[in-house]
Amino acid sequence: MVWNALPTFFRGAAVTLALAVSSVAVGMLLGIPIGIGHVCASRPVRTMLWSFDRVFRGFPAIVLLFLAFFGASGLPGVRIPPFAAVVIALGLRSAAYQGQIYRGALAMVERGQVEAARALGFSMPRTMWHVQLPQAARFSLPSLSNEYSVVLKDTALAFTVGVVDLMSRAKFLAMRSREILAAYLLVAVFYFVLTYAGIGLFRLVERSVAIPGLGRHGTRRIG
Amino acid sequence: MTYLPALIESVPELWKGLLLTLRLVAVSAPAGLAVGIVLGLTQVYGNLFFGGLAAGFQLTVRGVPLIVQLFILYYGLPHVGITMTPFVAATLGFTLCSGAYHSQYIRGAILSIPDGQMDAGRAMGMGLLQTVRSIILPQVFRRALPGCSNEIVYLIKYSSLAYLVTLVDLTGQGRLIAYESFRFLETFFVVGLVYLVLVTLATSVLRAIERRLHIPPA
Repeated sequence: MVWNALPTFFRGAAVTLALAVSSVAVGMLLGIPIGIGHVCASRPVRTMLWSFDRVFRGFPAIVLLFLAFFGASGLPGVRIPPFAAVVIALGLRSAAYQGQIYRGALAMVERGQVEAARALGFSMPRTMWHVQLPQAARFSLPSLSNEYSVVLKDTALAFTVGVVDLMSRAKFLAMRSREILAAYLLVAVFYFVLTYAGIGLFRLVERSVAIPGLGRHGTRRIG
Repeated sequence: MTYLPALIESVPELWKGLLLTLRLVAVSAPAGLAVGIVLGLTQVYGNLFFGGLAAGFQLTVRGVPLIVQLFILYYGLPHVGITMTPFVAATLGFTLCSGAYHSQYIRGAILSIPDGQMDAGRAMGMGLLQTVRSIILPQVFRRALPGCSNEIVYLIKYSSLAYLVTLVDLTGQGRLIAYESFRFLETFFVVGLVYLVLVTLATSVLRAIERRLHIPPA
């Protein structure tokens, strides 16, 4: 009975993966400017970023999800589909966390390198693009891998707003087959594989973009 | 601001939910830390069997969403004759999950302490456990505290999943109020703010403990 449900689990896994990848992508798209803003924006902008950060890192994921789905639907003329609500809630939350990741990664690039680039006549944006970002991107990869695994696991809350993801497939199966324990153990295996496959992929990327001699401690050795 | 009177009316319910959330956290935060210390020590000092067991457990728990773990504990286990109350299932789930994450920080902190200290302790005639307890752990605790603090903050936020195993905690009360009043946006925003206050308070208390425990370098 449980094994017959495998195809539906694979379809659910595709939805879960789509949720996670879209949320992390939204988080990255917004998180990079936010991270740069944390480092070098003007004071009012930094204050705004700070309050964004407080709310999205201080509210539980499920509350953010309810705000995005039920909350926004209460506004006149607004109707957000469940999938989009999950991506908005988890994406914005991830943007707050990724903003902190990129801020930390930028801080790891040695100050002297920025001064050197400026002395060579690089403008601030060019220094950011050619000197700071390429290194910060590499420094941020381990934390980003962690962020993926957090977001992936939080997508399991999507069933509460009606997305038919991996978790809700497991709930269907548990209800229909009465094999409740088996259904949830099976879904646990699926999440386990998705988590560690993703982390493994990040390791692979880390290794393929690594620059010999440039490490978390290598910055100082080079300078 | 027509919502304000309704909000004030719902304060007693939110308060009841908040108390349940606090009870969940008050039980699972220290218990989780204890599990984390045991798992961390076992991973570093345990033999192949127990060390492997602890590592495997920690890896498994960190690879599966907390909500799946809660569903296994609360809805799945009765299938094999193990039943527990929602409160026990939730605190057990929170404890095991945060213990697994804590163990990573503890393990890292143990590995960051130079081997020589263990050798010195043993050379002075102290036993393994004694060395760990009086020399290694006091330092480990201080080094792991920033990570563990983060983990406790996460636990406060993830305690909101308790409502999915039928507990009416802060989030659960928020849901009831929202469905009754059809004020989803305002209600969940207020609920979120309460979590934000909890998280901010916890952070500052934990930072104060960190500062209090700090040993200035010689």
